[in-house]
Amino acid sequence: MILTVFSFESCPYCQKLKRYLDSRGVDYEVRDIELDEEAAKECLKISGDLTVPVTTIDGKNYVLGFDKKKIDALIEEATA
Amino acid sequence: MKERIHKDVVIIGAGMAGLTAAMYCGRMNLDTLVLENGIIGGQIANATDIENYPGFVSVKGGDLISTVHTQAENFGAIVDEFDEIEKVTLKTSPKIVETQEKIYEADVVIIASGMNRRKLPLPEEKKFAGRGVHYCELCDGHAYDGKIIAVMGGGNAAVDAANFLTKYAKKLYLIHRSEFRADEVSQKRLRDNDKVTIMLQTEIKALRGDKRLAEVEVFDKKSGETKTLAIDGIFVNIGVEPNTALFKDELKLTTSGRILAGEDCRTEIAGVFAAGDVREKEIRQLTTAASDGTTAALLAEKYLSGFKW
Repeated sequence: MILTVFSFESCPYCQKLKRYLDSRGVDYEVRDIELDEEAAKECLKISGDLTVPVTTIDGKNYVLGFDKKKIDALIEEATA
Repeated sequence: MKERIHKDVVIIGAGMAGLTAAMYCGRMNLDTLVLENGIIGGQIANATDIENYPGFVSVKGGDLISTVHTQAENFGAIVDEFDEIEKVTLKTSPKIVETQEKIYEADVVIIASGMNRRKLPLPEEKKFAGRGVHYCELCDGHAYDGKIIAVMGGGNAAVDAANFLTKYAKKLYLIHRSEFRADEVSQKRLRDNDKVTIMLQTEIKALRGDKRLAEVEVFDKKSGETKTLAIDGIFVNIGVEPNTALFKDELKLTTSGRILAGEDCRTEIAGVFAAGDVREKEIRQLTTAASDGTTAALLAEKYLSGFKW
């Protein structure tokens, strides 16, 4: 598991992000902030907000939203 | 150096018009690629309950578009939502669609790039974007559970957004500068909700807050009164703008930025079609977007078979 994605089921940009990670064969964990209260608290702690998707390696370095270049950089960092 | 790839049809935009065109092109065995710079479904991906698409009593926009996406792919169309289009050249033969990674040579281009939501025209918009000012209720509404929400706008999209957001809001204001343009059914649903205060003929004049939005200054045009409302988040639904920046040097655009094409979706350039909301027309509905996609695809096949433009 190299990335954690904070998201929820019906969020269109979360779906796009997950499709992108799948297309690149990246291993990631999904934390649903609507179904899991702990996940929502953790997301809030990381980004200061509940806007998703939030993708992170370590809970400190994170990308908010779907930004291909930033996600690519995060994947590179995670796999380095 | 970018790889060059030939396609019978390149469709720009994966909303209802684009995906319907892709489904028809796929069924006619045309080598079809759909490119999408934003999200699959476009505006519809964010629609919560669609009740005026035939065949469904009520359907979520995401579910409906996901089905059309599957239909298009089942017939062989390829949908790429990750390789962003950088440049389009339509007057050459073949037509060229250049993305970040590839150069596509296409015999037919169907433009179905749709519309983008208009931004809130206030100087503080940038400061609060994503921190109290939002454009996607489905994406960000959950962050306002138990909070005070405002929705700006008076059309169907705004009223539907407001109805959806009442499930999170402890209090919701619908603020609009003129009168409602939304369907009566949606208006009534909103009026009947105790959490909702409707403020028509009211303009938003300023946004205030430290790091996040905290207050909104509004001006009541009828009474001439200015007041401040405590608001945690505002969802902006004040109309849309055609997504035609890529085509402004290639095709004639109307003063509103839409593409000139008839009901047959043919533009001034042979082999180039415009379908859906991006085409200049009087009625823009999900059903007419599907209709345009169908028309463009069937006439694309005729064009490729040698029929005169």
